[in-house]
Amino acid sequence: MSYVGMISLYLAGVSTLLAIVLSTKTLRAKRDSLAKWAHRFGAVSTFFIVLATMSLIVAVLRNDFSIAYVSRHSARNLPVLYKVSALWAGQSGSLLLWVLIMSCMTATVQKMKRYQENHLYLRLGIVMHLVCLLFLVLLLFVTPVFERLVDIPYNGSGLNPMLQSLGMVFHPPLLFLGFSGFLVPFALAVVGLCTGDTQGTWLKQVRPWVLFAWLFLTAGIVTGGQWAYNELGWGGYWAWDPVENSSFFPWLTSTALLHILLLPEHHRSKRVWSYTLIALTYALTIFATFLTRSGILDSVHAFAGGVLGQVFFAVLVLLATFSLTLGVSKRHALRTAGSETTGATLVVGSVLLLMLCAGVLFGTLFPVITRTFAGREVVLDASFFNQLSVPLFLVIFFLMGIAPLVREKASDRKVLPRTLALPVLLGIAAAAYTYSLQSGLAACLAFGLAAFGFGTHLRDLFFPRSRRHWGGVLVHLGVLIVLIGVAGSSVFIDDVLVSVEPGQEITFGDYVLEYQGLRARYGSDQYTVTTTLAIMENGTEVGEITSEKTFWEGRHQPSTQVGIFSTIKEDLYLNLAGWENQTAQLHLQRFALVSWIWVGSWVMYAGALVALLKGGQVKLWSRPIR
Amino acid sequence: MARKKLRILLLSLLPLFVLGFLAFRAFENSAAYYYTISEVQGKDVSEQKLRVKGQLVEDSVVYDASIPLLEFRLTDGNSYMKASYRGVLPDNFHHSEEVIVEGTLHSQGEFTVSKLMLQCPSKYEGEE
Repeated sequence: MSYVGMISLYLAGVSTLLAIVLSTKTLRAKRDSLAKWAHRFGAVSTFFIVLATMSLIVAVLRNDFSIAYVSRHSARNLPVLYKVSALWAGQSGSLLLWVLIMSCMTATVQKMKRYQENHLYLRLGIVMHLVCLLFLVLLLFVTPVFERLVDIPYNGSGLNPMLQSLGMVFHPPLLFLGFSGFLVPFALAVVGLCTGDTQGTWLKQVRPWVLFAWLFLTAGIVTGGQWAYNELGWGGYWAWDPVENSSFFPWLTSTALLHILLLPEHHRSKRVWSYTLIALTYALTIFATFLTRSGILDSVHAFAGGVLGQVFFAVLVLLATFSLTLGVSKRHALRTAGSETTGATLVVGSVLLLMLCAGVLFGTLFPVITRTFAGREVVLDASFFNQLSVPLFLVIFFLMGIAPLVREKASDRKVLPRTLALPVLLGIAAAAYTYSLQSGLAACLAFGLAAFGFGTHLRDLFFPRSRRHWGGVLVHLGVLIVLIGVAGSSVFIDDVLVSVEPGQEITFGDYVLEYQGLRARYGSDQYTVTTTLAIMENGTEVGEITSEKTFWEGRHQPSTQVGIFSTIKEDLYLNLAGWENQTAQLHLQRFALVSWIWVGSWVMYAGALVALLKGGQVKLWSRPIR
Repeated sequence: MARKKLRILLLSLLPLFVLGFLAFRAFENSAAYYYTISEVQGKDVSEQKLRVKGQLVEDSVVYDASIPLLEFRLTDGNSYMKASYRGVLPDNFHHSEEVIVEGTLHSQGEFTVSKLMLQCPSKYEGEE
């Protein structure tokens, strides 16, 4: 199987190269007969990449441990689902998945009707195939995915139990989909500028792709947080870790980009802003890969350093230089004659998002900066990021709250006091209630602003101007729900460590938990110690919560499954920390409103989908706001 | 025209100032200084928040689940450092060769860990 995969990768590389050469030739020599072949070779390269991926999957399913990658990331007794996910459990496999996504995306773009005019699909193909080619070269020569072992082991070392979870099945592919999605807007902008498009047509074409990539990036980030919360057992979903931050940077810039794209067509600086943000977002996806693969920062995720990091750094420098040169040399095409300056809120909001991005970037790179310039590495912990980001976030949420109001026409401004009455009232009530719970200023403001935002968005929720508008309103509401969840789970927390005997009761918050003892369960290569606590509220049993620790044969490391009892009000979080005979040490935590984060994220996805799909097909957004 | 340019300049500097102010304010209490274990020995760094990276010394781990208290020793190849952590033993602790601890150093050369960082299982490559 490894030979099939290896040969496919080589063939894919060759046909990608041919596609690039033929496309260039077609455009240079204006020989349309070649265009067909350029297109065909592009499709052939996609076919071979699919074949290579399939052969790796088949190898994993057939327990072909002669391939080093398979033996490292799979094992005979691994469930099928996790065998498939072993494809992205390691470095070279995830690069293969990534190039698969990009190649399929390239094929789709080349097929789309709207890019057929003026050989646009060939030009886009050149940019996108170049990136695919880079990945193929990496897969063939730097981290060979089909590398063979001389001594074939009977069994693989398997997938770390912590990675055997649904979150880890979805998180990486979603993130890669998001990252690769930003390649299309970048290609569109580059091609648009290179061909001297002074009409700014490319600007109208980028929106659906930005939205598409943003949707998957958001989903990737959220599933990552959810996995950490469900599996890692420390009770958090976000720790401002460099690797987490690295996916957050392109999210912030693409969010700004989505708002800049809402500016009216004739806005003075729309094109400059858009081009900058598109290039920045794409560069940040490469930067994210560099951060996670270079090992320049210590992270709990600790990816190994090596050549790959250097390659991505080189690509990053190249990309930044190219984008900047292109932007400067084509600055006349980025200028618009229009002088309209409406939409100041959108610009200010985008600037705030960029400030947030710059601040988090600074904090993330602070160890590198101090190591280089002061000789002593200084690390900033989560409190730095929280103190830096909370004020900025609050202003952003305020702007988001007033967003539906600034769209009003001048004639509607007269009734503004009336429209504002309900939101302001809601906001004050929420803030006052939070204050009565004796929490800090930031929490009061967060809940107040969330309620205020709900109030202002309500009318648009029921009477949207268009489907696209409704999608945007839904995304905003989703973000507000996430805000409530994040604020609640960071402020209202409770944390105890108790040592309990069987039959003993623990009073925790409004609940009484009853510990009934430990049970053991034996499997063929593991044994599990479990405890289940009955949860009583006001004397009636409302549910139960189970936490267990599994010890694997031949593995030094046990794996703990935390118990989560989730209600709309709060989550109970149980971690079986240890035991002696039947006396158990339990780590109990309580986080308010966590489930709101997951619910809110689904509202965000729904909103983005509504905005993306119109009449069953992807439609361009072109209507500027009034 | 010159006035307009000045206005634009000031307007674009404003976000930087705000950001600088926020970063400066947030800097307090959140900075931890990186030291190697050899550097820590015999130096007066007891007031600072430190971050130390080291290899876990095999068989040095003592865990009392009832407190819970985790004690272990770290080495950088030359020197050793005793560390104690009041908290639950993480699953992958024994498995981690490399441990990063954050906390403060006592005069007796013992390190009180406030934050224990281990390599996440999602680390790519280099496992074997």
